[in-house]
Amino acid sequence: MLAIQNLKVSFGDKEVLKGVDLQVNKGDVVTFIGPSGTGKTTILKCVNYLVEPDEGHMQLADISVDFKKIHKKEILQLRRNTAMVFQQFNLFKNKTVVENVMDAQIAVQKKSKKEAYERSIDLLEKVGLLEKKDEYPSRLSGGQQQRVSIARALAVEPDVVLFDEPTSSLDPELVAEVLKVIERVAQTGVTILLVTHEMDFARKVSNKIVFMEKGHIVEQGSPEEIFEQSQNERTRQFLKHYYPEAIELMAVHS
Amino acid sequence: MITPSTWEIVSLLLDVAHITFIILLASAVLGLLLGAVLTMINVKNIPVLKQITVVISSFTRSVPIIIQLFIVYYALPPLLGNFGINVTSMSATVAAILALTLYHGGYLTEVLRAAYKAVEKGQHEAADSLGYTPTKKFFRIILPQTVPVALPGWGNALIHLIHDTSLVFALGVADIMGRAELIAASSFGMNQVQVFLIVAAIYIAVTFLSDGMVRLFEKKTQKFKLDSGLKAKRVA
Repeated sequence: MLAIQNLKVSFGDKEVLKGVDLQVNKGDVVTFIGPSGTGKTTILKCVNYLVEPDEGHMQLADISVDFKKIHKKEILQLRRNTAMVFQQFNLFKNKTVVENVMDAQIAVQKKSKKEAYERSIDLLEKVGLLEKKDEYPSRLSGGQQQRVSIARALAVEPDVVLFDEPTSSLDPELVAEVLKVIERVAQTGVTILLVTHEMDFARKVSNKIVFMEKGHIVEQGSPEEIFEQSQNERTRQFLKHYYPEAIELMAVHS
Repeated sequence: MITPSTWEIVSLLLDVAHITFIILLASAVLGLLLGAVLTMINVKNIPVLKQITVVISSFTRSVPIIIQLFIVYYALPPLLGNFGINVTSMSATVAAILALTLYHGGYLTEVLRAAYKAVEKGQHEAADSLGYTPTKKFFRIILPQTVPVALPGWGNALIHLIHDTSLVFALGVADIMGRAELIAASSFGMNQVQVFLIVAAIYIAVTFLSDGMVRLFEKKTQKFKLDSGLKAKRVA
């Protein structure tokens, strides 16, 4: 459903992704882990072309692109079949909660206002924010804003939802409410790419973990393979620092 | 010699007020359009054209407005004549509108550019990620957030423009200020304090109206706050 080959990205003379290959099946929940600045977010932003790759090929559902010679039309197609949940939420500040969820349905998908409204109300109920529908984003807490942004992403019925560190700018006590919503989204069978530092959560919801370092995919596999049985020295080093529980699990296994 | 009474002076001045208003209105509207176009060229980073906008905006901001008026009225026709463009019949009023439009547009470019840049990158990214076309993104998301930021600066620019319309009489335009000079001269300056105080009062009234209009716009666009809400973590 999503296949990436030889994806290369550089910012100025700094190489961020040095040839990444990735295969994602429909309904997969793929979580990217690894140290900061290794290109996890960049991969996500290449999928919807918010970052311009230097080269690489990508197949998303029936859209096939060569990043070296991508057309404006193809960029719109990629974006209209994906949706992103941002670290900083990025809700439209000039629109109310329900308008945020409605807007792309009207402006991009050309749905009627009524249809868009009904779908939005339905989604807002699912993320538990129906009573906030007429508030502006500035009146909401970070956790609430992020839940609205998840509803906005789901509203356009994307093939893939890209979660870019969705809980990294939240207060610790607000993280749980957002993770709960993401978990429920994952259970509906939507294909998800997720970048997070919440290792417990990654282990629980993902069916595939990708460990990245310095622009390369070092190791990928099921949560058990990565968190419990990894033989890779660099993966183990990373987990030792950021998820000591994994080391305990590995001790049990070996 | 009979000097006119205060009310006679007021009515003599208001007789020509429409000249001032036409110049003001035309250069305010055209200047806003010009400012918008220059800003678009500037933020879209269109080569060559961008350099031209920089030249226009730095010229209009560094040359005194009275000199700009003279340049447009006296220097532009022979200059364009060299290229075979004949504008020698340009009236003083048209020259005044042209000069003030350039001045107002150049000034507004700075205001509008800053307001446009004040919209966070994340707002662009969010709209892009959902597949908005650039036009849809601009009119639905970016422009509504640019306007409230630009309004105070635009209001200031408008006040400058209002005041600068009082200089067009230097080109021989018979506006309020031109008429005031005539009235004062006809009494050999006997009543010039009175005349110019009345002119001041008229300008105060116009500025007051323009201020009120800008305030009204500000109120209308204030329904949403532009802060991110990141700090409003514990709002119930």
